[in-house]
Amino acid sequence: MWNSEFMIVALIVSLLFGLLMPLAGGPAVYKRLSSSGDALSHSALAGVAIGLAAGLNTLWTSLAACFVSLLLLELIRSRFSKYAEVGVSVVFALAVGLAGILSSYTNASSFDSYLFGSVLLVSKEELYLTIVLTVVALLFTIFFTPQIFASLYSPSESRVAKIPTRILNFVEDLLLALTIALGSKIVGSLVVSSMVVLPTAMALQLKKGYKVTLVVSEIFSVLMMGSGLILSYYADWKPGATIVTLAVIVLLLFVGGRAIYERIVMKQRSKKEETASLEK
Amino acid sequence: MIEFDHVSFSFPDKNVLEDISFRMEDGEFVGILGPNGGGKSTFLRLALGLLKPSKGKVIWKERKISYIAQTTSMADASFPATVEEIVSLGLVDSHLSFPSKEKKAKVKEMLERLNLTSLRGKNIQELSGGQQQRVKVAKALIGSPSLLVLDEPDAGMDEESHECLVTQINSLKDNGVGILFVSHHPEDLKKADHIYFIEDGKILTYEKEISRGHHHVEL
Repeated sequence: MWNSEFMIVALIVSLLFGLLMPLAGGPAVYKRLSSSGDALSHSALAGVAIGLAAGLNTLWTSLAACFVSLLLLELIRSRFSKYAEVGVSVVFALAVGLAGILSSYTNASSFDSYLFGSVLLVSKEELYLTIVLTVVALLFTIFFTPQIFASLYSPSESRVAKIPTRILNFVEDLLLALTIALGSKIVGSLVVSSMVVLPTAMALQLKKGYKVTLVVSEIFSVLMMGSGLILSYYADWKPGATIVTLAVIVLLLFVGGRAIYERIVMKQRSKKEETASLEK
Repeated sequence: MIEFDHVSFSFPDKNVLEDISFRMEDGEFVGILGPNGGGKSTFLRLALGLLKPSKGKVIWKERKISYIAQTTSMADASFPATVEEIVSLGLVDSHLSFPSKEKKAKVKEMLERLNLTSLRGKNIQELSGGQQQRVKVAKALIGSPSLLVLDEPDAGMDEESHECLVTQINSLKDNGVGILFVSHHPEDLKKADHIYFIEDGKILTYEKEISRGHHHVEL
């Protein structure tokens, strides 16, 4: 595996996406808009279908489709703030419909490859874009963590403290849209729409602070992307499907393990309290 | 200073506030009472510039404002944050900032002041409703505001936390900090310079209401 250049590049890209996805997806999870990842990934598919049908570069058409969907989501969210989730469903439905119709005009096998990605066939352009996007997301998170954290914790209190919550929101959404558009082409829309949510969901189980949750989600994401890709190589499975399945299994094992641990601790605690009261 | 000049606010399907005129001077303690759905929170959001009036204008002098929003404990329940992290958010503004010894010392002092030191590393989810509210108060006070705006911060508070909140507010008032306090408890407003009722989108002074016999509030 380590002798083939395409596997090394695939591993580097997967690890970069491992870093990138929780940074882009975490804020959406806290805003309770995790499903916007699904809406955007389906928009990326619609963009790919447009690109394939029109004979254009699919990377750029999927980026454009994600950006348009992002603006549509923002418009619905600002006009009908109480129904933000409805906006996500509307964009999701529109994207699925368009992708379905336009896929009739494309080669089915090349369209299917976008569901699971083509991490083993990454172009130089895609590699450079991934590096740039990861660096931008990392810098944004490192420099603006206090402001991002404050605006997620309480948007209204942050606005009173003159924190530019709207700009932060837009940058967070833009990062999510770009990650999903690029990720759909490289690691597959299935992976990217799940992995923008799963690492944060996993880290939330620890019930720790904001920074610890962020770091744990990053570690989980990088581990899943790396080990999923290596496992897929040796088992000869589809990389995208392997990564997502592995991440879900680990998450379920962790949730189950934690529930058992909490039950044991609770039992021990109540036993101790019982003994203490009897001794009294 | 905050001034409402014939301010009205309405949603497409509902008039929330009608022709409100109000003035609050620097360093004053103003209490707001009234039934749920009467427009108190909308009034505060207009005063803070979070909403724009449909008619009239809100004028305010630039100052350092801390705001404790009305939120349910459910909203905090799903957010991953420790007590210390939340309190330090009170020092965050639009400028780039990095952790420093000075900030750490301020957080430590505030945690001590509000009896939160033993809870500093705990996740907000592990705290009672009253403790969560106390953390919010610490977050609001740490930035040394010149005006503190509170929207029913005592919801879900236990007696100890409630007493701590009232003591803090009264001491701020004594130190010249302006207070705009929406509360369900008239006894919290004993030190207030003015008390207003907001009901059915209209603002009425406490004295007026009492004379009309609409409300029986014992201060």
